[in-house]
Amino acid sequence: MKNRDRVNLKRLNERVSAARREAEERGESFYPGPSRVHLASFPPKERWDDWVELDSRAWPRRVEKRYMLVPTTCFNCESACGLLAYVDRDTLEVRKFEGNPEHPGSRGRNCAKGPATANQVTDPDRILYPLKRAGERGSGQWTRVSWDEALDDIAGRIRRALEEGRQKEIMYHVGRPGEDGFTERMLAAWGVDGHNSHTNICSSGARAGYHLWMGMDRPSPDHAHARVILLVSSHLETGHYFNPHAQRIIDAKAGGAKLVVLDTRLSNTATHADHWLSPYPGSEAAIFLSIARWLVANRLHNRDFVRRWWNWREFMAEAHPDLPPDFERFEETLEEMYAEYTFEYAARESGVEADTIEAVARLVAGAGTRLSTHNWRSAAAGNLGGWQVARTLFLLNALMGAVATEGGTHPNSWNKFVPRPIHLPRHPEHWNDLTWPAEYPLALMEMSFLLPHLLKRSGDFLDVYFTRVYNPVWTNPDGFSWIEMLTDPERVGLHVALTPTWNETAHFADYVLPMGLGSERHDVHSYEQYAGQWVGFRQPVLRAARERLGESVSDTREANPGEVWEENEFWIDLTWRIDPDGDLGIRSFFESRARPGTKLGVDEYYGWMFENSVPGLPAAAAREGVTPLEYMRRYGAFEVASRTGALHDEPVPDGELEDVRVDADGRAFTRAPKPDSPNVVPLPVVDGDADGRRRAGVEVDGRIVRGFPTPSGRLEFWSGTLAEWGWPELAIPGYTRSHIHRENLEEGQMVLISTFRVPIQIHTRSANAKWLDEIAHTNPLWIHPRDARGMGVRTGDLVRVETEIGHFVVRAWVTEGIRPGVVACSHHMGRWKVADHGQNQAMATVDLERGEEGWSLRRRKGGGPYESADADTSRIWWTDVGVHQNLTFPVHPDPISGSHCWHQAVRVSAARPGDAYGDISVHAGRSGQVFRKWLEQTRPAGRVSPDGTRRPYWLLRPVRPTREAYQLPADDPAGG
Amino acid sequence: MEVIRALATLAEPPHPAHAPIACALDLPELPRPADHTELFLFQLYPFASFHVGADGMLGGEAADRVAGFWRALGSEVPGEPDHLSALLGLYAGLADAEARESAGAGRILRRESRKALLWEHLLSWLPPYLHAVGEIAHPFYRQWAELLGAALLSEAAELGAPDRLPLHLREAPPLEDPRVTGGEAFLSQLTTPVRTGMLLTRADLARCAGDVGLGRRAGERRFVLKALLSSSPEDTLDWLGREAARWRGVHEGYRAEAEAVSRFWTSRADAAHRLLVELSREARKGGGPASAPATLRAR
Repeated sequence: MKNRDRVNLKRLNERVSAARREAEERGESFYPGPSRVHLASFPPKERWDDWVELDSRAWPRRVEKRYMLVPTTCFNCESACGLLAYVDRDTLEVRKFEGNPEHPGSRGRNCAKGPATANQVTDPDRILYPLKRAGERGSGQWTRVSWDEALDDIAGRIRRALEEGRQKEIMYHVGRPGEDGFTERMLAAWGVDGHNSHTNICSSGARAGYHLWMGMDRPSPDHAHARVILLVSSHLETGHYFNPHAQRIIDAKAGGAKLVVLDTRLSNTATHADHWLSPYPGSEAAIFLSIARWLVANRLHNRDFVRRWWNWREFMAEAHPDLPPDFERFEETLEEMYAEYTFEYAARESGVEADTIEAVARLVAGAGTRLSTHNWRSAAAGNLGGWQVARTLFLLNALMGAVATEGGTHPNSWNKFVPRPIHLPRHPEHWNDLTWPAEYPLALMEMSFLLPHLLKRSGDFLDVYFTRVYNPVWTNPDGFSWIEMLTDPERVGLHVALTPTWNETAHFADYVLPMGLGSERHDVHSYEQYAGQWVGFRQPVLRAARERLGESVSDTREANPGEVWEENEFWIDLTWRIDPDGDLGIRSFFESRARPGTKLGVDEYYGWMFENSVPGLPAAAAREGVTPLEYMRRYGAFEVASRTGALHDEPVPDGELEDVRVDADGRAFTRAPKPDSPNVVPLPVVDGDADGRRRAGVEVDGRIVRGFPTPSGRLEFWSGTLAEWGWPELAIPGYTRSHIHRENLEEGQMVLISTFRVPIQIHTRSANAKWLDEIAHTNPLWIHPRDARGMGVRTGDLVRVETEIGHFVVRAWVTEGIRPGVVACSHHMGRWKVADHGQNQAMATVDLERGEEGWSLRRRKGGGPYESADADTSRIWWTDVGVHQNLTFPVHPDPISGSHCWHQAVRVSAARPGDAYGDISVHAGRSGQVFRKWLEQTRPAGRVSPDGTRRPYWLLRPVRPTREAYQLPADDPAGG
Repeated sequence: MEVIRALATLAEPPHPAHAPIACALDLPELPRPADHTELFLFQLYPFASFHVGADGMLGGEAADRVAGFWRALGSEVPGEPDHLSALLGLYAGLADAEARESAGAGRILRRESRKALLWEHLLSWLPPYLHAVGEIAHPFYRQWAELLGAALLSEAAELGAPDRLPLHLREAPPLEDPRVTGGEAFLSQLTTPVRTGMLLTRADLARCAGDVGLGRRAGERRFVLKALLSSSPEDTLDWLGREAARWRGVHEGYRAEAEAVSRFWTSRADAAHRLLVELSREARKGGGPASAPATLRAR
């Protein structure tokens, strides 16, 4: 150790202190904070080419295994956390998956679903080759076919449909999304408005609430820096962006942040909360409005932020033209409008004590701009008017000014980076009213779960229907209607199931085509998981490993197991077969730029993207002496920006301001063209002015700043869109009483919560993920002891749950973790198959019958051990694989957001004689009646459209047709 | 105290934001991440528990003691409470807190806490650790280690020596005789600094293999050492004995600044030296690998 006398420590202390002072005076951090990688967790990246570990299977002998570590991203939920595949250098097999420390979102951490990718890869029952139906649809008879045969058949049908103007008969229906925008662009290139998503059974309720406020439809909370975190979700176990968010919530808690959780059920997240509020389902908005009222009444809100950023002038002009349009008057009006929402009122609605709500309100007030909030599914997906839950939750952020602040909630688009691809297609010229029916002009996403009813109503036909990593028969409500649709040749001509695993829907397909898992496919994606932007790269790891060893792989099937394909190559190949000569004008969007007239390859596609559209990546790659594509193949992710912030308040550069006009509402318009951005993240398209200028931003306190992509350019407390499109009474954030509100229940009915998840299942893709199934494989009905006593039911007893259209039989779990009067049954479980093929570990074998009375499903055999190439399958000890409750749910489309409202009014009783575990019964015709009943609540575009269009043009839409296609048809002005 | 906080930061993986910190400390250009990895992940683990723990491994009772110290201060225990950066950051924080206290009991309490942290959890292991860094690390880290050593000894001089040897060292079990406890335990203990008084890094074992003319097996340290002892026990034991003697000299070198700690580590190195010499002689008497103490032979 150096002699202290030889070092002038005093002088050094002064120098470092001075340097720190200077940095902090510039608003910078001098110390960047700990960045160390835990010694035990991650192999250092410079050793990823040749990493040595002892072979666990050789224990107790010490046998070294040499691995190549290849990054990819998990495909098992939308979070897309980083994974590192450990590829055995000797056998070129993936031996395990661990976290990728280079991934900015997940930071090397994973939930159980990530490592379980190994189970999916080695699943002894997985689909490895293209299969074609051999008997009747649903008969379970299959023939292996070549990819060429399948592709030519499918492409031929699509080409004929396009040539004959039957674009509407082609539909792609997605469950788990892959690459940001890839298939949307592909469908647009085909000229087809045929994108269909699962979102209206998932997040569209909440997203509608956010979209109406800020023009962007997802919340991006900066949990890590929050002082108060308010969740309508179970983020510490399963909530959306679970792993990336959960770790940041814990970071914040370690720093003293308070956690407030609203969840009727005692979730694992609720157990970590400082305040757990268990509201009566659907009453959440009442709670938030009472907090908002209290903040305003006590002038504890961020008055300057509200003055600058809310569209309060527009509200005053439209709603109170008789009052002076000044801010103080607006605040008084605000207070008056919400006066009824006292804590006592909220307590009566929710069953949560007024004192508790007030304590939470005080926390919110103390958070200032460090209030991070989040709602994704949960209450927003459960209730009629669920979109108001997110809208009233965000109202608290908007009141506190906690919008795009450190520790606040950001709009997703500012924390997301979608690199511009090599080709951008045109807009389709057609409007598909099977996905965007006129009754739902404001639906955030396609009315996907109504498809069987809409097809039946219209008599329309789908010539080619792709289900892509999607299982509507199981996942959607009213699955029997889906079976009826899929087995009816008058409704569906060719059903192609693109899936990595067997599922209930694939059973009714004409082709089952094996798509790659997270380690077998390419995707580029970016998710708004913190205040920063990153790009992640999913890749077929064995292809990347072979390339590192010097091999050249031009078709991913060469590297994947069996004939499993990666999806982009599949779609490019299919498109070339649809338009082999380019005469349809489609092929050009899938051609090489380097070698015109030849097929675009994935290396060129991604190479171009990473070279030209990801700022900073080429320089980072150059520092390591590799190309940008090689960099992404090596590290799997790149952070484009960190510490993003209040983009709405950034001044518009002078170069973008030309012949500027600012209108009476403060919206600024310019003649300067919009600069090209490498980031093509979806944003609303707001109109310019009547003289042809485009919107540049808004004027705030004399400065022209970016603003929000809303019609007003500001946060829309008052939604002109809702007011103009038939819902003026809902133009400001409010509380809609749910369809399962107490006053809507009949005597003896209870509320069933059916949407919650467990942290260790993957929607319907984990029936053979043995590590996960061993932990969680069944879904008993949560019943409060008081209710159970009334029914004479104990834990383990069979109960019958009756819905509007049928019933299911399940086992009871008596627990105080649920409110009295409410029961709950988890998602994921109750998977089934009718034939031998399928997954055996957590899928029951059932008899499926359709009779005069309706449909029934009865369990023949549960799970159990079986012989396979995997020795572990003989060790399966569980037989109970849960009950498929969704079959007994009718559709409940919210008339505004379009979201399915999942909560059910049910009657629960002890099982009757003859009832058996897993029994499902649904009455014929009832689901159609319920569909029509909910349809009556809508206000169709033909009746309410202010401008003769089908939908407000500014609203987001995954595939946006031409402006002309938005016009309501002249021959059907009512729009259906 | 800013110097200690700055040095704590520089033990984290190199980051462009570290450049002004290094500049203010007169340190050379930042090293590459690979240099950091090589030093802190593969050679000299910057965790107190590794150096003063009874098993020479991360975690365990030694880490619990450090975590207990954090708790006693009322602080949130970080994920790696005994990591050098965390400990130095804590030390700097305590000094700041002390400076903010007006004279009186509060200030004395802070000062005593700082003194306890310095002697119990920093100077109990850092003198030999920083010496080893000075021997094998990238020039940046050599200078970093020199500066850190000087800063800590300056603190020690200011705060004075404690009455007792740090608890980690009082509780540390000695190196046991393999003729009593068996070869496997001996192998583990040879790679446990607090038992032998030696820090045997991977680099040291490579040096050993070179010095005694043996091939070096790839693997973790215990595995490498076992291979060397199996191939040539007498030469390897000789080399280890000499290494222990060399470390004895290292520990004597900081006697004036940290006497009790120096005496402890010197005595451990001396005991290891004597035992290793004896074992080596015994091995030589036996005439080579075949007659090496059975407990040291490879299976």
